[in-house]
Amino acid sequence: MSQLREAVKLSERQSRRAASQWAVAWRRFRRNKSGVIGCAIVVFFVLVALIGPFLVAYPARSYQSLYEGDAGDPPSFKHPFGVEISGIDVFSETVDAAKNDLYVGLAATLITTVIGVALGALAGYFKGAVSDVLLGVTQMFFVIPTLLLILLFARVFSVLVFKGLGLTLIVLILSFFGWSSIAFIVRGETLRLKDMEFVQAARSLGARSFRLLFRHIVPNILSPVIVIATLDIAGFILTEVVVSFLGFGDPNTSTWGLLLNEGFPYVRTTWWVALFPGLAVVICVLGFNLLGDGLSDALNPRLRE
Amino acid sequence: MASLVRYVIRRLLFMIPVFLGVAILTFFVGNAAGNPINLIRAGLRNPSPAVLNALEVYYHLDKPVWLRFLYWLWDLIHGNLGVSTSGRPVLSQIGPWTFTTLELQILSLILAVVIGIPVGVFSAKHQYSKSDYAITSLAIFGYSMPTFWLGIMLIIIFSFYLGWLPSNGALSVSYPWWGSWALDPIAHLILPTAVLTYVSLATIVRLVRANMLEVLRQDYILAARASGLSERTVTYRYALRNAISPVVTIIGLGFGAAMAGAPGLETTFSWPGLGYAFTQAALNLDIPLVQGITIIITIMVLVANLITDLVYAVVDPRVTVT
Amino acid sequence: MDEKILEISNLRTYFFTEAGVVKALDGMSLEVNRGQAVGLVGESGSGKSVTAQSVLRIVPRPGRIVEGSVKFEGEELLTKKEDEMRKLRGRKMAIVFQDPTTSLNPLYTVEKQLVDILMLHRDLTKEDASKQALHLLERVGIQDPERRLKAYPHELSGGMKQRIAIARALSCDPMLLFADEPTTNLDVTIQAQVLELLKQLQKELSMTMVMITHDMGIIADMTERVTVLYAGKVMEVADTSTLFKSPKHPYTEALLKAVPSVKQTRALEVIPGNIPNLISPPTGCVFHPRCRYAKDICVKTEPTLENVDEKHLVACHFWRELSLEGKGR
Repeated sequence: MSQLREAVKLSERQSRRAASQWAVAWRRFRRNKSGVIGCAIVVFFVLVALIGPFLVAYPARSYQSLYEGDAGDPPSFKHPFGVEISGIDVFSETVDAAKNDLYVGLAATLITTVIGVALGALAGYFKGAVSDVLLGVTQMFFVIPTLLLILLFARVFSVLVFKGLGLTLIVLILSFFGWSSIAFIVRGETLRLKDMEFVQAARSLGARSFRLLFRHIVPNILSPVIVIATLDIAGFILTEVVVSFLGFGDPNTSTWGLLLNEGFPYVRTTWWVALFPGLAVVICVLGFNLLGDGLSDALNPRLRE
Repeated sequence: MASLVRYVIRRLLFMIPVFLGVAILTFFVGNAAGNPINLIRAGLRNPSPAVLNALEVYYHLDKPVWLRFLYWLWDLIHGNLGVSTSGRPVLSQIGPWTFTTLELQILSLILAVVIGIPVGVFSAKHQYSKSDYAITSLAIFGYSMPTFWLGIMLIIIFSFYLGWLPSNGALSVSYPWWGSWALDPIAHLILPTAVLTYVSLATIVRLVRANMLEVLRQDYILAARASGLSERTVTYRYALRNAISPVVTIIGLGFGAAMAGAPGLETTFSWPGLGYAFTQAALNLDIPLVQGITIIITIMVLVANLITDLVYAVVDPRVTVT
Repeated sequence: MDEKILEISNLRTYFFTEAGVVKALDGMSLEVNRGQAVGLVGESGSGKSVTAQSVLRIVPRPGRIVEGSVKFEGEELLTKKEDEMRKLRGRKMAIVFQDPTTSLNPLYTVEKQLVDILMLHRDLTKEDASKQALHLLERVGIQDPERRLKAYPHELSGGMKQRIAIARALSCDPMLLFADEPTTNLDVTIQAQVLELLKQLQKELSMTMVMITHDMGIIADMTERVTVLYAGKVMEVADTSTLFKSPKHPYTEALLKAVPSVKQTRALEVIPGNIPNLISPPTGCVFHPRCRYAKDICVKTEPTLENVDEKHLVACHFWRELSLEGKGR
């Protein structure tokens, strides 16, 4: 009996001693070159998003260059990324857009992760009808053409109903269609862990369900969740870019997708408008993908003799 | 065999609520866009009251929303996709668009699979080599860029700057590219296919590589080598077969996603497919057309998924039991 | 018969990992006579499995045989070309792996896995190979073999899977069989059956068997001669009865003390400490950090394998002075 108690204490201590597990993971992460590069890129973009707007020459959505006679100019010292036909300075806009794109990525990820983990854990733990329904719903979301529905929702709602929301509308729509993949994974992991012995041991000692869930199970699913969340940020940013490029985003808030939308019709002459914001997207998303991969390697140790 | 049939039936049954779910979402959101009459009025010039009345009856606007949904669904099942606000029936336009989209998607998918699987296997077998790093880097780039943006970049280089390839449409209008009407469609296909193939390749290579690495680590591969089977047999007949099942799923899902993702790429190339049509329709609030296209694409995606499930079941018989 | 079928000398197999070079085998030697049942014993991480993999030259990446000599039937294996090795694998030597759930391919039927090997080495037609496969299943004691032949591994129990793994290893009548912890993953009751089966088959086929295990009980039951391995190095080599009665190495003594016996009244002794770090192993004698008799010289100088007598070797500085406790059998 005391051995049983020992086993449970050990598991709880392991959750607390998870601090040292993280330390091990951190060391592994540092060794992974691409993960570190990804981290650096992400930090760079966060800095650009936060501080950039204060440092650039032209405020957001400003057509000032038109009046300066620079409209449609190629990249130069004054305008490092060139100028749009409409007079918008591409460099300033790209920098300004960083915070908006990051906002969409991070906010959508936050919402989907919280909902996904909560629903997934509950579904995986309390089996039965609820769990099966959730499974069905997540499978449904896997299968349907989400981008089309996102576009439809964005168009309809932005025009007709929720006019004032701007990018937040996009965040909400992306979240609506995005929570299911995390929920699916979390449900699977919870199911797997639930049947493991350390949980049964704790339960036999009288631990109640929520204590079990939070002290024992959730810490063990954190690793895959962190990885998925990081990769999700990348995915949401890419989706936002397509949505805005096609003209379904918020025309009043600069995002990289919006820049591409504005630049595309004139790409034959002002190709820089399409190049630079796109590059920003690629590098930013690359950063999150590399970071996610690095985290995945660090947090999921694979036995190597 | 029986379990396979049962499995397929189970999957079919699953698809029905999914289809209904999409139908409901599409219809009700589309409906929220406003009274169809107002939308149509925006499309037509000066409809007479008689026409308006006829339209009202046609759209059952006197009935409550959920009843309208059922009418719409009923029409759907009978193949009637309604009439777009431009006046033309939806169904008649969908055919050519579908063909154009599928042309691009299927070609790219085939190329991506045919190239991607061997490359992924090669990368896994030569882990940590320079080629492996090169391949993984290329893959992760492809994975991190918006598909349509790559399209724009290639257009800038190959169409505007070099003039080697056309930049829009699936077919030329007056003068065939490369001087031949037979070659013309091919010329138009090259750039969008290249873009889509590269991006699909990125995912497939990564996936195959990851799964192969996982499988090659397994005991049964070691045991197969210990039995004297050749490296080639072990890699292709054993390891790949084991690694391929999740890849099959992802390819299937990816096909569905690609179909759904067509809008960006097709808009860039003015490729007259379903994605492009959808985008235009949505921007114009041509709701019946939007709904019609969504339903068609959903059906295609569901069919693709069913085929994927079938292939998966053939490759990995364990799945028919669960 | 005193003919040596397998002669390993000074084998070093290293794994070149991101964290460093893991010296899985670091100067290991082994001699096996034809027809013998020999044991290779040690804790997990001692290099036992790597030995079998090294002989068949299937050491998985990032591992590599760095130095040494492995002679099979007098021929040096380490210099053979890959296709020559492939002719030997499965045909002249085979391995039974520890976990039958992972060592059988989950996607193929039992029949296919056996037939593939039979057709490869024996040049049989598919029908003949199938018949052989059936025969093999009967030989390893599987009931209702026709049905089992068509089954997938996940439809079978652990014991049955291991029997099939054994059947696979024996399918082409190898002369040398490595049994790598064949019963560790099985229920205790099934363990006994599988061991019985191995013993019986070894006698029937006059096969040479190397039993790799951490369980001294299995060593006592199944082997005539045993090599004790620790951290990739040989600690002691002797006939099984001699080893049990008068062990000369502290590690062997500790292993023996850790085996419970019914008559025992005192508490089981645990070997203190952990398995050594194979990337930077201890200096001098590899076992010194856990040895109760260790002295200064053990930290500084690595002991060489010395002869206690003609058939008994030990690598310890103090084997002459220590009087260690064995188990009277």
